[in-house]
Amino acid sequence: MSKQVREKANWGVSYGEMVWREFIKSRLSAASLIFVVVLFLLAIFAPFLANDKPFVVRIGGRLQFPLFRYLRASDYCVFLAATVGVIQLLLIRRNRRRLDPSVRGAVLWRQICISSLIILIGVILIFVFVPRKLAKDYKAMVASGEASDAIFAPIPYGYGRTDLPVREQPPSRRHWLGTDDVGSDVLCRLIHGSRISLSVGFVAVGISSVIGIFVGAILGYFGGKVDFVGMRIVEIMMAIPTFFLIITIVAFFPRSLLNIMIIIGITSWTGDARFIRAEFFKLRKQDFVQAAVSLGLPLRSILFRHMLPNGIAPVLVNATFGIAGAIFIEAALSFLGFGVAPPTPSWGQMLSLGVGTTGRFLWWLTLFPGLAIFFTVMAYNLVGEALRDAIDPRLRKAV
Amino acid sequence: MSKDGVLLSIQGLSVSFFTDEGVVKAVQDVGFSIKKGRTFALVGESGCGKSVTALSIMRLVPEPPGKIVGGEIVFEGRNLLALSEKEIRRVRGNEVAMIFQEPMTSLNPVYTVGDQIVEAIKLHQKKSTSEAWADAVEMLRKVGIADSQQRVREYPHQMSGGMRQRVMIAMAASCEPVLLIADEPTTALDVTIQAQILDLLDDLQRQNGMSILLITHDLGVVAERAEDVAVMYASRIVEVADSQRLFAEPFHPYTQGLLKSLPRLGFSARRLRTISGTVPEPLHFPSGCKFHPRCPIGCGDRRCQTVEPRLREVEAGRCVACWYAKGYETE
Repeated sequence: MSKQVREKANWGVSYGEMVWREFIKSRLSAASLIFVVVLFLLAIFAPFLANDKPFVVRIGGRLQFPLFRYLRASDYCVFLAATVGVIQLLLIRRNRRRLDPSVRGAVLWRQICISSLIILIGVILIFVFVPRKLAKDYKAMVASGEASDAIFAPIPYGYGRTDLPVREQPPSRRHWLGTDDVGSDVLCRLIHGSRISLSVGFVAVGISSVIGIFVGAILGYFGGKVDFVGMRIVEIMMAIPTFFLIITIVAFFPRSLLNIMIIIGITSWTGDARFIRAEFFKLRKQDFVQAAVSLGLPLRSILFRHMLPNGIAPVLVNATFGIAGAIFIEAALSFLGFGVAPPTPSWGQMLSLGVGTTGRFLWWLTLFPGLAIFFTVMAYNLVGEALRDAIDPRLRKAV
Repeated sequence: MSKDGVLLSIQGLSVSFFTDEGVVKAVQDVGFSIKKGRTFALVGESGCGKSVTALSIMRLVPEPPGKIVGGEIVFEGRNLLALSEKEIRRVRGNEVAMIFQEPMTSLNPVYTVGDQIVEAIKLHQKKSTSEAWADAVEMLRKVGIADSQQRVREYPHQMSGGMRQRVMIAMAASCEPVLLIADEPTTALDVTIQAQILDLLDDLQRQNGMSILLITHDLGVVAERAEDVAVMYASRIVEVADSQRLFAEPFHPYTQGLLKSLPRLGFSARRLRTISGTVPEPLHFPSGCKFHPRCPIGCGDRRCQTVEPRLREVEAGRCVACWYAKGYETE
C-alpha cells in the first residue's frame, strides 16, 4: 500500500474538496467563515476571557489557581468536545494525505464513532465527578489585601455576579460595554451568551435536519400514497405559524435551554423534509439508484448511502440558514421573556433589558447584543449562500 | 434446476402504466424462455417494451405508475413476481444482475468505483474489506481496465464512458449472477468500444457459464452474439427463433423489414430500405395486428385490421404472430 500512498497526486479530487475550493474563492464568504470560527473560539474559551476568578492568586503565601479550580462541569464538556472536534478535523486532514481512499471511508467512520463515544462518556463522567463549588469573592479579597499577586482574565467579571452599586452604567473604562440592570458586565455576558446562541443554533438544526431528512427520504423514495399522506401532514405543520407554536409549547414546559432547543428543532424540520423529498424524487429515477437497487442493496443503503449524499446539498445550505434562524428565534423568545431564565446569559434577553426594566432606554444594552445577533445571523446566512453557490454545479468553473 | 436447461421462463407477462392520459399497455402477453449458459436477445425499436420486460424480471418497474398486471416469471423454479420484497432482494444482484444503457449516469458520482464494487462484493459474499478490495482490483483487471490498482481509487467522473461501462459490468459480474441482463449495454458507446464490451460479456459468459439477456435494437449485435432471438413490436413479441434461422428466413413482415433495412457488405444499393411509417403511440395502438398500418402485406387486409394474431409455434422452436406467416394458418 505504501507505494500507492506516495502517488497520492493521482487520487481523485473528492466532491468535498471541490466544494471547499469553490467556497473559499469568495472573500466575503471566507470572512464570514472566519467570523463564525472566531465566534466559536470565543464561546469555547469564554471562561478564560471573562471571569471574576483570577488565574493565579497568592493567599497566605501560597499560590492558588481559582479560575481552573472553579471551572464548571459544562466548561469541561465544552473543552472536551472542542478538543475531540479539533483532533477529528486534524485526523480528517491527515486521512486525506496519508490514507488510501480504499480504506478512508471505513477509517473515518471508525474515528467518528470513537470520537462521539469519547465525548459521550466524557460528558457523563464530567457531570458525575465534577462537583459544584461555590467560589469565594477573590476581588474583595484582593481589595482587602487578604490576597495578592492576582492575575485576572481580560474581562474580570463573572456573568452571574450581581454588583448593584454599578448597575445600569454606560460603557466606561472599567466596563467596556457598560453594565446591565444588576450590575453585570455586558461584554462578559455577551461572550458567555455566544455559547447559548451557538448551541441553540446547532442542536436545534441538528434535530430538525435529522427529522427532516428521515421524513423527506421516506416520502420521496416511496412516493404515491405514502407521499400524499405525508405531505399533507407536512403542509399542516407548515400552515401553523411556528413562532406562536413555539411560544405556546414553551409556556407549558420549564424554561430550560434544552427544552428550547428541542422545541425549535421539532417545529422547523418541514423545510428540510421538502428539500430532501424533492431531491429524492429526482434521484429515484436516476440510473445509479436503479443500479444500486438492481444489485440487491438493502433499502437503508440505497436511501442513506447512495441517495442522501447526492441530495444533501440543499439541506446543508438550509442548515446554515436554519442556524441563523434558530439563533434569531432564541433571541426573540428571550426578548419576549420566554427564553432561558436569568442569570444564564442570552443575547435576546440582554436586548430586552435595554428597554424593559426602568423605563429608561439603555442604549448599550440594546446596541451591543443587537449587533452580536445581527452579525452572527448575517455571517451564517452569508456562509449558507456561499455554500449554495459552491455546491451548485452550474456556477462552478472548470475544476 | 428445471428440465431441458431452461433458466428463466416468462409467460403471459403484461405490464401497464397508469398515467393521467390513460393506461399505457407497455408489455402485453410476453413470453419466452432463456436457456442456461446461452445468450438470448430481445430486439425491437425504442419504446416497444424491451426495457420494461427486463425491469419486470428484476421487479424494478416503477410502481406507481407502472404495474405488472399479469403473467409469471419463473426463475429456477420460483415465480419472481410472487416473491416478497425481501426475497426478491436476495435474487437481485446475487442471481440476476443488470447492466444499464447509460454508463455515464449508472455509477454513483460520490464514491470511487472501488467503493461501489466492494459494496456489491461484500453484500453477496462474506469477505473482509481488504479481501473485497483485492477482488475489486482483480475484477477491474478482468474487465480489461489497465492499471486497475490505480483506477479502482478513481471517481466515475474521471473515467470515459467505455470504462464506466466496464466498471458496471465488473460490478454486476462480481456477484457471480446466473443471469445477466444487459439493457442496451453498447448503445451509448462508440463503435470500437461496442465490440470490446460485447467480447467482454462473451468472455465472462464462458468463464462463469451465466446466461445473458441482451436487449438491443442493433441486429448486427444479435447476429453475432445471441443464440436465440425474440423480436418485439409495440408491446408484443412478434417472432421468436434461434438467430441462425431468423436471419436466414425471417417470418414476420416486421422482422423482414428490419433485416432489409440493414446495410450489407457486397450489396450496393443507392438507398437503404426503410419500414414506412413510425412506431405507433402506446396510447393509441392500432386495432388488430399492431403492425398492419406499416405492413406491406396486411395493410389492406380486413383480418389484420381487426383481429390481433397471437404468438404461435409454426416450426419446432419458432414462433411467430402473423396471419400471413408460413405455417401459421395450418394451426
